Amino acid sequence: MTPSWLVRLARPRGVWLALLPAAALLLLLLAPVARLAWEGFAGPLSSTDGLSLWQPWQDDYLRWRVIWSLAQAVITCVLALGLGLPLAWVLARFEFAGRALVLRLLMLPFVVPSLVAALGVLALWGPRGVLSGALGIHLQDGPWLLLYGNLFFNLCLVVRAGVDALAKVNARQVAAARSLGATPWRAFWRVEWPAIAPWLLSSLCLVFLYCFAGFGLALVLGGQRYATVEVEIYTLVAYELQLGQASVLALWTLGLTGGVALAYAALEKRLAAPLRLLPIPRVRPQGAPQWLALVLALALLFGICALPILAIFIKAISALWTGATGLFDAETLAALWNTLRFSALALLMATLLGVLHALAAQASVAWRAAAFLPFVVSPVTVAFGLLLLYPSWTASLPLLLAAYAVLAYPFVAKSLSAGLDSLPVHLGQAARTLGASPWRCFWRVTLPLLRPSLRRGMAFAAATALGEFAVTLFLSRPEWATLTTLIYQRLGRPGQANLDAAMVQACVLMTLALLVFLLIEWPVSERGAPRLPRRVSGQTSHPSITQHA
Amino acid sequence: MNRRLFVLATITLAVSGLSAPSHAADELRVMVHSSFSLPKPLLAQFEAQNGIKLVLIKGGDAGEMLNKLILTRAQPVADVVYGIDNTLQAKALAAGVLEPSLPQAAGTVDAQLGDALAAVDHGFVNLNYDRAAVAKSGTPLPKTLQDLTLPAYKGWLVVPNPATSSPGYAFLLATIAGLGEEKAFAWWAQMRSNGLKVVKGWSEAYYTEFSRNKGSYPLVVSYATSPAAEVFYAKDQPAESPTASLNLAGGVFRQVEGVGLIKGTAQKAAALKWVDFLRSAPVQEALQTSMWMYPAVAKTPLAPVMRHGAAPAAFESLPPQVIADKGASWVARWTQVVLK
Repeated sequence: MTPSWLVRLARPRGVWLALLPAAALLLLLLAPVARLAWEGFAGPLSSTDGLSLWQPWQDDYLRWRVIWSLAQAVITCVLALGLGLPLAWVLARFEFAGRALVLRLLMLPFVVPSLVAALGVLALWGPRGVLSGALGIHLQDGPWLLLYGNLFFNLCLVVRAGVDALAKVNARQVAAARSLGATPWRAFWRVEWPAIAPWLLSSLCLVFLYCFAGFGLALVLGGQRYATVEVEIYTLVAYELQLGQASVLALWTLGLTGGVALAYAALEKRLAAPLRLLPIPRVRPQGAPQWLALVLALALLFGICALPILAIFIKAISALWTGATGLFDAETLAALWNTLRFSALALLMATLLGVLHALAAQASVAWRAAAFLPFVVSPVTVAFGLLLLYPSWTASLPLLLAAYAVLAYPFVAKSLSAGLDSLPVHLGQAARTLGASPWRCFWRVTLPLLRPSLRRGMAFAAATALGEFAVTLFLSRPEWATLTTLIYQRLGRPGQANLDAAMVQACVLMTLALLVFLLIEWPVSERGAPRLPRRVSGQTSHPSITQHA
Repeated sequence: MNRRLFVLATITLAVSGLSAPSHAADELRVMVHSSFSLPKPLLAQFEAQNGIKLVLIKGGDAGEMLNKLILTRAQPVADVVYGIDNTLQAKALAAGVLEPSLPQAAGTVDAQLGDALAAVDHGFVNLNYDRAAVAKSGTPLPKTLQDLTLPAYKGWLVVPNPATSSPGYAFLLATIAGLGEEKAFAWWAQMRSNGLKVVKGWSEAYYTEFSRNKGSYPLVVSYATSPAAEVFYAKDQPAESPTASLNLAGGVFRQVEGVGLIKGTAQKAAALKWVDFLRSAPVQEALQTSMWMYPAVAKTPLAPVMRHGAAPAAFESLPPQVIADKGASWVARWTQVVLK
């Protein structure tokens, strides 16, 4: 439910609000993809002999690629749900020391750049990994590394959604079910589960999208056999110049991801409701089974989400101990500087685009789904389309930064949309009846209320820009090398010294991403729900005001 | 307070981000493949003598580098390119990324690279074996490629994928040139069922899978100079290299690497100086132990360590045009046969 005055504000101006993001999407996403497809079918580099739209399904090798890409995304979804639901339940229902901190740190894996995450998984389970060495397990060349990496990235999404949804379950309904004699188990399946299922489903849609369109992880961890369609597209273009085949594959993946994105947007819209809370009170665990459940849950969370991060730190420190370079040499510092300034610029642009998009998206589901285009269109495809479409802009900073911004802004748009959806209606109406103009109302009431969701979106956007890899790989110039490209270059050079340097640089990049994320996100309350600003409610303890006054 | 600082910092960074580097008039942009490496003093000397500022652009593996040049034809990202070899030469010419003619200097090993490229160095892609592992296995070395399909050699060989690696591609071409197309692919199919391991690039093959480096495969696709490099980088100067070349018929391919001007460069004079520099005596001597290739200028003395990496007597090669016409379809077929 969007406040009616806001809809009125958005509708006549909706077109104007949407103009900038629409132009960005059109010029930087859709046009490049179309151009790539044209290049594939009709361009001077095309090889149309035997090229058909059905090729990915006729060719065994490509079919395996597509099927494996789908399979690894689905398997990740199933695993994430199976592990994430109990985890979420434990975090939502039990009160224990450090719970708030766990929830705070929950989203950290998500902001670790994909290349760094891949290195972390290798540092744990790779050929000379910390754990694989200790346990004598050989996981190379199998699908396991990629699946583990996927889980590391995405488990937190499902857990987060689960915790948020469980906090919205109505305590009265559960209490009624219990007093009518339902066991806790039955009460969960008959009352809680139906209430939280849509939220979990929507988070699973996201997990599917990230896994299916993931590039960095699959490139490093997939090997020859378990690489995904994205890696195949990259290989076809970068190594074989088979633009036709690449664009056919890209179109297929676009169709698949587009369908999932639409489903997700529809779900989000249906779930959107102003907050009306009578949450179930959390209890301290009692008795051995409950404590055991809590300990197990935390251990699982640690094993999947914290270990790869720790492994990078361990490897980096031991590399520095043995005299590795890569911490503060000129190359790293230059890359660090580039990473910082590019990300800052991209963040500014992404925030502008995201705010405009979210405001315009209040009125239509299709436009809301459009915010997912950058997630849906693979960065690899975008980068090559851009190369082909704007040859004279290749290796120009504005193009690189625009691509960064477009890939990062959905986070801002999405977070703000959710914030707008759960905006209390009456505050705006009160301001309007007291004579505030729509704009004044927006600046003085809506924006302060939206601050937490804006911050969260910006935090994710910043982390995305810092870790951006695929686009940088193609559009960057050598003097603009960022930390991600540096790490990838190091990985491509032989020898232990280079691997050590890559680990050290990965550690620097990860620390940077985590710092930026925490810096922006930290003051947001645990639920990220908008609270009443002081001016309106007279509430005195508003952390995001008191902390920064 | 914190927030204001953050916003301020962001805006400061953003403004500084806009200060794009401008092209200096004396700047020469040199595109090279990822294996390019020359002693820093030599490069500094070149800059000082000619008043040129070098910008080295690493474009990835040679094939990937050429694709980048082709994709950015309209606005080239470099003035001169080093690392296009005889397997890529025709493709580069057909795509029109090079200035069509270079003044060719005499004294080259062979002028196989046409008019647009000047040969800088050459090398041989072949099989290397790990002496210790082979001795330990008690199995005699294979005499022919066909021997490798026998059960005794199951799980011996690791190769880089021809689709993503130049040496991998060169080795595939060697098998086709040596055995004939049909026989070659039949051999690859047999190898597949005999435990052939495929990895993305040469470095993964050599540094991860090769038994010499804690892997489990005693045979690897590498270069004839690799055994010399093993001696050169060893901590204790061994009398004999721990690895050696295994030169089988249909398993050795000659690669000639060259340098060429990129079409439309505004730095023609400086680029030509770079060409001369790469073919000058100091570089021809240095590249042997920095890039592990043989010098292309015939009168260059060989580095002493090269006695551990002698050039093979016999090798395969294919006409550049044949490679350009059929290379892509061979790689596609190889992918079908070996990876599917």
